[in-house]
Amino acid sequence: MRTRKFERVDAVIIGTGATGGTAAKVLSEAGLKVVGLDRGPWLKPRDFSGDEIKYVNRNFLVPDPLLNPRTYRESEADEAKMAAFSLLPQMVGGGTVHWAGWFPRPKPSDFIQRSLHGSVEGASLADWPYSYHDLEPYLSKIEWAFGCAGLDGADKFCPPRSKPYPTPPMAPTRFGRTFYRACERLGINAHPIPQAMITKPFNGREPKHLTGFWNLYGDPSGMRSGTATTFIPEALATGNYELRTECYVTRIVTNAGGEAKGVVYLDADGNEVEQEAGVVILAAGAIESARLLLLSATEQYPDGLANSSGLLGRNATFHEYLYAVGLFDREVTEPFDGYAGHYLSGGSMQFYETDEKRGHINGSIIGASQVGHPINWMLPGRPAWGAAAKQSDREYFRHSMKIGVCLHDLPVENNRVDLDPAVKDAWGLPAARITHRSHANDLALAKWQIAKNAEILDAAGASQITAVMHKRCTGNTFHQHGTARMGFDPEKSVINEWCEAHDVPNLYVVDGSGFPSALGVNPTLTMMAHAWRASDFIVKHHAKGTKYRLDRPRAVRKTATEA
Amino acid sequence: MAGRAEWPVAKRNIAEAGERRLFFTEHEWATIEAATARIYPTDDQPGAREAKVVRFIDRYLSGLDFIFAGADGDGFLAVSGRDADAWRIRISRLQATYRAGILNLDAIAGRDFGAEFRLLSDERKDRVLESVSGAPKPTGIRVSESGEAHVQNISDDAFGFFDALALHTRQGLFCDPVYGGNHGRVGWMMIGFPGPHSLADTRDCTYGHPDKFLTDYDWADLIPHLRSNGRPQEQAEYENEGAKPRGNRENK
Repeated sequence: MRTRKFERVDAVIIGTGATGGTAAKVLSEAGLKVVGLDRGPWLKPRDFSGDEIKYVNRNFLVPDPLLNPRTYRESEADEAKMAAFSLLPQMVGGGTVHWAGWFPRPKPSDFIQRSLHGSVEGASLADWPYSYHDLEPYLSKIEWAFGCAGLDGADKFCPPRSKPYPTPPMAPTRFGRTFYRACERLGINAHPIPQAMITKPFNGREPKHLTGFWNLYGDPSGMRSGTATTFIPEALATGNYELRTECYVTRIVTNAGGEAKGVVYLDADGNEVEQEAGVVILAAGAIESARLLLLSATEQYPDGLANSSGLLGRNATFHEYLYAVGLFDREVTEPFDGYAGHYLSGGSMQFYETDEKRGHINGSIIGASQVGHPINWMLPGRPAWGAAAKQSDREYFRHSMKIGVCLHDLPVENNRVDLDPAVKDAWGLPAARITHRSHANDLALAKWQIAKNAEILDAAGASQITAVMHKRCTGNTFHQHGTARMGFDPEKSVINEWCEAHDVPNLYVVDGSGFPSALGVNPTLTMMAHAWRASDFIVKHHAKGTKYRLDRPRAVRKTATEA
Repeated sequence: MAGRAEWPVAKRNIAEAGERRLFFTEHEWATIEAATARIYPTDDQPGAREAKVVRFIDRYLSGLDFIFAGADGDGFLAVSGRDADAWRIRISRLQATYRAGILNLDAIAGRDFGAEFRLLSDERKDRVLESVSGAPKPTGIRVSESGEAHVQNISDDAFGFFDALALHTRQGLFCDPVYGGNHGRVGWMMIGFPGPHSLADTRDCTYGHPDKFLTDYDWADLIPHLRSNGRPQEQAEYENEGAKPRGNRENK
């Protein structure tokens, strides 16, 4: 096949989601010539509607697993089986097309897991090479450039903020009000969870969509913040960003000196195209980014690009969404109508920090949220058929309430992404294989947290409580991190503190791949701030040919509050 | 090759499909109709039969014409390219699963009760379904200590006959009527879900749930510590601390 070549540009960005979209905006607004590539289409708000079959059951927004298979196994000894693992939308906007938009900030403690907890058996905890305070200005930049709703002062445990929220939170739902009151009874600080949406006119956007078709659906109104409706159009408006959709990058190309030269991709018609660039920026999500680096192996880099440490793909963390559902008597309680609301309505950060009395380290965000729509409403232990199935729908569809947890899982070196030796995708390339076994701390945290959520539901007056327990990691949060760990030491990490590969000086990985540990909150805000920070570095230093490295921390920090 | 952003909407006249059978034989249709009527029975309120769940399943299994409704609900996307290849594989697997499943229902019915499944009494149909599902008929919500893994995007790729039948029955009961089920919106009405008049109303945002958000609320009423202070003291401190230079913090 003859490879078509395009003129060299300053940067090529693989991916247009949360982090690729952020890099596109920052670099193109700074005047760099940028090409953005995405495997999927650019769907517009007019393509979306409240169609449960299409979005939740037939997975219109996520890759078809028959074309893009993924395999999963719990340990090296098992055979990996096909699994719908963390099927993040592969299209312009990426995960910000289908997400609910949880937009909480991380905490200082998230960045110093090793200093706080030392060596935890079976885990591979590491400090981040930068701190919450380093990232804070970028968290504010994202909240204000992207659009975010929150309530200043409501979260007693809120980390330092330099700016207030740009727009106020969505009004509570009836299940939200019940959650707030139950928490007050138990002395728990409940508050709106910041969400990536706008509730007042903002940057030319209008908040007009009071719906229930939110989590997993596309947003036809543009009220929810997503890069497909914000950063990507803003990047295009500079005239410096060219977006190419339906382009599947098959490898990153290096030159004789070992530097990244560009990428090779298949366009929509299956033609092979080469795009050269001064900087190659990988923003495809931690699974696909690791896969592409492994697929880009050469004679010089036989174990995959940027993998001299042997750590590429390792220390993968995925979170897991777990929840308890309370069922309420119709005779006693008003209907909650948990199909409505913009997914979230109240949450808490009270159980976030480590409390040794609980028997595990760390904690997670919790949130009261929609129970879902009629076909897929979340009822653990649902009777599958017969009169009991019908009765439970009639009794509880409008009378149930869910409190969920985004499980803060610990990094484990053997939890990893690699190339499946047997399964290939529709383009003939090896599928990503996920090997993951939850650390004992994940299981203990899940158990404690579900019990706590059940306690809140009990205080809210639930007559029966049923829960999803943590059996195995399914990737059901679509949160992916850790496969190209960031750090100062090239032997213990894949990329440096600016997201540049230790081995390949002009290759950056700006998505969650770099996260040395997962957070206890939803990661997208942090990922976007992380990508903005790296993009700033590319503009201010890399593009100008200057090198700038952070000093390693001089003192070991002992506690989160001192950090 | 057209990507999904360019798929045109085809079959603008949904009613054209009408009551016609598109995939099932007459016997298969009657068998699946009878089976779904036991999966979601009719009592003083409609069940799978009235929702025309069998029509929903028949359209789904008929090929690629009823996979993704257009955003306006006035037709279906013309799936093409590699996606069409994947859907062809998926649908043909499901067709085989259903054909074999129906034969099995009749085989068990014949073995145990000497008649075709569709002709059995409700009680006997349930015995056959128990046999096919490999478990007793559920009597209520099962609360278990171990629980199950939860996958957000529920697909039928790995499903055998009974699980597919149960999932598709739910789908046919509660889908948007454009898919051929939820006839007369009986599924939505039964559980009190105020579904949209059409998908077009959800796209242009004329349909929503504004009445499900509170209007008479005060954050201070819901969040106790906002009542006394207005803003907590901690927050004011955070703002001063927020932009601390790196060096100061490093030496702490």
